[in-house]
Amino acid sequence: MQLAVNITVLAAIYALIACGYVLVYRVSRVLNLAHGELMMLGAYLLLMTATQFSSHWLAALTAAVLLSLSTGVLVYVFLMRKMTGEMVLAAVLTTVALGILLRGAMVLIWSAQQFYPAQPLQIANVAIALPGGARISLCAALLVLTTALVYGALLTFLRFGRWGVRMRAAGQNPLLAAQRGINLHAIYALAWGLSTLTGALAGMLIALDAGLNQTMAIIGLKAFPAALVGGLDSLAGALAGALIVAAAEILLINYVDPLLSEVVPFLVLIAMLIVRPWGLFGTREELDRV
Amino acid sequence: MFRKLAAAAVAAAIAGPALAQDAYVVGLTGALTGPPASTYAPAVEALRIYIDRVNAAGGINGKTVNLILQDDSAEPGKAAANAKKLIAQDNVMLMLNASLSSTYAPMVAEAKRAGVPVLFASSVCPKDVYPPADPLLFCTTAFAANHDSRAVLSFVKETAKEPVKLGLAAMAIPISRGEIDFAEGLSKTMGMTPVSKEIIPPPTPDYTPFATKIKDAGANWAYSWAPWVTQVRTLEALRRLGWQGDYVAWAHIEAEGELARLKDGQFYVVGATALFQDALPIHAEIAQAVQKANVQYPPQQMAEGWIAGMVVEAALKATSWPPTPEKLAAAMSNLNVDTRGLRGGPIAWTKDNHFRTRQYYRVYRWDPAKASIVRVKDWTAFDVQ
Amino acid sequence: MSRQPRASGYFRTGYAQDLKLVQTRAERASLALLGAVLLAFPFLASPFLLDLANQVFLASIGALALMLLTGYAGQISLGHAGLMAAGAFTVGILFRETQAPFWITLPAAAAVGAVLGVVFGLPSLRLRGLYLAVSTLALHFLVVYLGGEYEAKRGFSTGILIDPPVLAGMAITSGHAWYGILGTAAVATLLLCLNLLRSGTGRAWAAVRANETVAAALGIGVAGHKLLAFVISSALTALAGALFAYHRGFVSVEAFSLFLSIQYVAMIIIGGMGSLLGAILGAVFVTLFPYGIEVALRALPGAQRYAGTLFAVNYAAFGFVMILFLVLEPLGLVGIWRRVQTYFLLWPFKHRPLAGRRR
Repeated sequence: MQLAVNITVLAAIYALIACGYVLVYRVSRVLNLAHGELMMLGAYLLLMTATQFSSHWLAALTAAVLLSLSTGVLVYVFLMRKMTGEMVLAAVLTTVALGILLRGAMVLIWSAQQFYPAQPLQIANVAIALPGGARISLCAALLVLTTALVYGALLTFLRFGRWGVRMRAAGQNPLLAAQRGINLHAIYALAWGLSTLTGALAGMLIALDAGLNQTMAIIGLKAFPAALVGGLDSLAGALAGALIVAAAEILLINYVDPLLSEVVPFLVLIAMLIVRPWGLFGTREELDRV
Repeated sequence: MFRKLAAAAVAAAIAGPALAQDAYVVGLTGALTGPPASTYAPAVEALRIYIDRVNAAGGINGKTVNLILQDDSAEPGKAAANAKKLIAQDNVMLMLNASLSSTYAPMVAEAKRAGVPVLFASSVCPKDVYPPADPLLFCTTAFAANHDSRAVLSFVKETAKEPVKLGLAAMAIPISRGEIDFAEGLSKTMGMTPVSKEIIPPPTPDYTPFATKIKDAGANWAYSWAPWVTQVRTLEALRRLGWQGDYVAWAHIEAEGELARLKDGQFYVVGATALFQDALPIHAEIAQAVQKANVQYPPQQMAEGWIAGMVVEAALKATSWPPTPEKLAAAMSNLNVDTRGLRGGPIAWTKDNHFRTRQYYRVYRWDPAKASIVRVKDWTAFDVQ
Repeated sequence: MSRQPRASGYFRTGYAQDLKLVQTRAERASLALLGAVLLAFPFLASPFLLDLANQVFLASIGALALMLLTGYAGQISLGHAGLMAAGAFTVGILFRETQAPFWITLPAAAAVGAVLGVVFGLPSLRLRGLYLAVSTLALHFLVVYLGGEYEAKRGFSTGILIDPPVLAGMAITSGHAWYGILGTAAVATLLLCLNLLRSGTGRAWAAVRANETVAAALGIGVAGHKLLAFVISSALTALAGALFAYHRGFVSVEAFSLFLSIQYVAMIIIGGMGSLLGAILGAVFVTLFPYGIEVALRALPGAQRYAGTLFAVNYAAFGFVMILFLVLEPLGLVGIWRRVQTYFLLWPFKHRPLAGRRR
């Protein structure tokens, strides 16, 4: 039972992070390797709002979420917009450079110390007993809930929302979409904003659960195979991918060798790439030359 | 801008080696940025503050100490380049390492070629400083492989009321894995049963899976000797799973703040450095200096770097002017530094022992009844052979 | 290969002339000058500068190998650090287990690299672009995991120490000796790449990169040439890793992080895609840049007081300058170089006359 809970929690973490990769890739075909750093930035923003703005958890969280949304939009407007039309590799490298810049800036501002945003917010991370003798911490439960909500909202938004439909259109065929009067830049900015927002949410919840220091950015990269296994342009795929990768990881930790958990997501990934390069649920796109 | 940068680079490269040596030059490479920086950066800051104070008070033997800091982000390649630069360009007489153990090999290789002594300050003591010690390697860091587990397990043995079923947790870095393997073997000879050994890859978003295994194995004690994150996350995950056992871990520089945060009466930290809770005069001195220097880290994390500063000062004092690496290494091989209570005893180095002749351990925990940190066990000495 | 136009008055009169690498007197003169500078450098430079030069040579070999693969054959790889690790570990393991001398370990490293090249290259038969990059990334993690396990199982917890190679009875330790070895290796790699690209193989790669279907229609074995690109590039990369191991005297997995792969990709992009000169310029830039910033920052007044934060600034500045480059100069350093060259070639005109325009 505890095993199932552990898988669910880890899958929720991966899924919440992975949807950020998917959102940006789906719309603009850019792989955002600064996602982990943006996620860490979100967590630090929560720390900032919690200590300087309001110690009420809802107020602090809302403020931090809004800040991350605008961060994402700003990243697009001031940086990624300039890279539209360049080689995809160059665009990916730009996100890497952004990640390096952000990491340096974050050490500069917040130092390398360990922080606990849960403390100023006075959130006690109690354990909740579940039926079957399993237990889950409050923050982990919140994280699972948030992931469910985020995915529900995103899927509805993309399916029925006016901007969601535009977003899909822009992802499918930017040229046609632009000719039909869709403001591509606004769509891209929105995608970046949403992607940063979901990533930051993941960062904040992990920080509430386990504290915050410079290692968080790497967790972002661990969620990356999940996004790929599911197919980089499918939200449902990211969910399935997260579940597969998390289950593989936890079962390996439990029954084989925990050290393999580092490699196995990538092995799953290679197998997937060879059988179905476009991922489980991804659209069978023309894999363009870069 | 580039032209200026380039010009500055060239100017400095030419001027660098030509600088007249009227100071003791000491170089340090450390993980000042990068993921593990939280363990090392405070110690380096403390060392810097200490040396600044020494210089402000007139220096050593009438000469100032020039401490050159280099960042290696815990990357071996960068550490190698830093070591090369410190030796070749800055002509340091002493190199300090404050970084992950993976940076040791390249740095030591460079130092040995040049005959410059290396002091491990705040980074784990390598086996080469134990007797019989390598002539060029020295260590002031509190924690040290093998000795720590001996102290921890003997504490567990005398504290435990029932047969010990021991859960072990390591981080998946060689040094931590090696120590936990050692502890596993040692615990068997001491009559305990190791029931579970978890090697946890860094970084892990969720420690619950590992904690689940320790709990399910039926451990009533758990021991972790790893970077602080791994130690404390494993404990927190265990507690959330409803595990009631006793947990013992190494008292890294973060320990004092963290004990107060966790408020867990069954969480013991074993350490070789006195916590600020003990309120020694030296603690007040550190706190004051830290406050004056206006740094981002709390004074509680500064003791390790402070001790390194004391030892560097003493070693340089014992080296007559003009200093050479050989003279310094000779002086360091016969050194006795009073740590003024920060450690259980002096840091004493002899020709074949560059660790310390006796290592003292103290055990602390949080006492929920008193709502403060208490000493569970006072200094216990272990001879180093 | 695209060549810059020559000033004027130089015409080739035979195929033999066309095949020469160095054609004009000016080229010969500048090459001789460059050679003289490179030869004189170790006698003038401080040991630290010498070490920097050695780092640049090593980086150049790796960057040239990656440029062959990505810039010419069009296959993206993020497994570069993994391949270097493979080369370094081949040396480390052979040295530790059998005490093999360098003339066995270096070819062995190249052979391991070539075999891994086939493995890394297999996904390229099915995948392109980003997906290919990710599959090579996966292999990177695999290599690093295996290396880490070897280290842990054999008890080399702080890395494998390697004795300096012994050549003609002398251990090579001095920076000067390494300067000679690494410099020669870098120049040899450059010549190898230059000649490969002028051969049928190079032209086949260019065709594969431009359009696979057309290349196949022209009778070029697409799959074989893709694999060949991976094999050659990987063997060179593994060799660079092996040289790294000897030069630094140690091997450990931590030295071959993902960040290293990214640095190499940065080199070829900052240097300028599709140009060997670009690979070298990129290697120089990416290797030296952090030191440049550090020196500049230290020159600021009161730098010592901010020593703790200096490195965070340095780290951030590296990211910032990389962004500036990518956004403002997509053609890379080689683009700047070409502009300068063209400026002098066309002087006093600003633009090329339309008639007789090349390309």
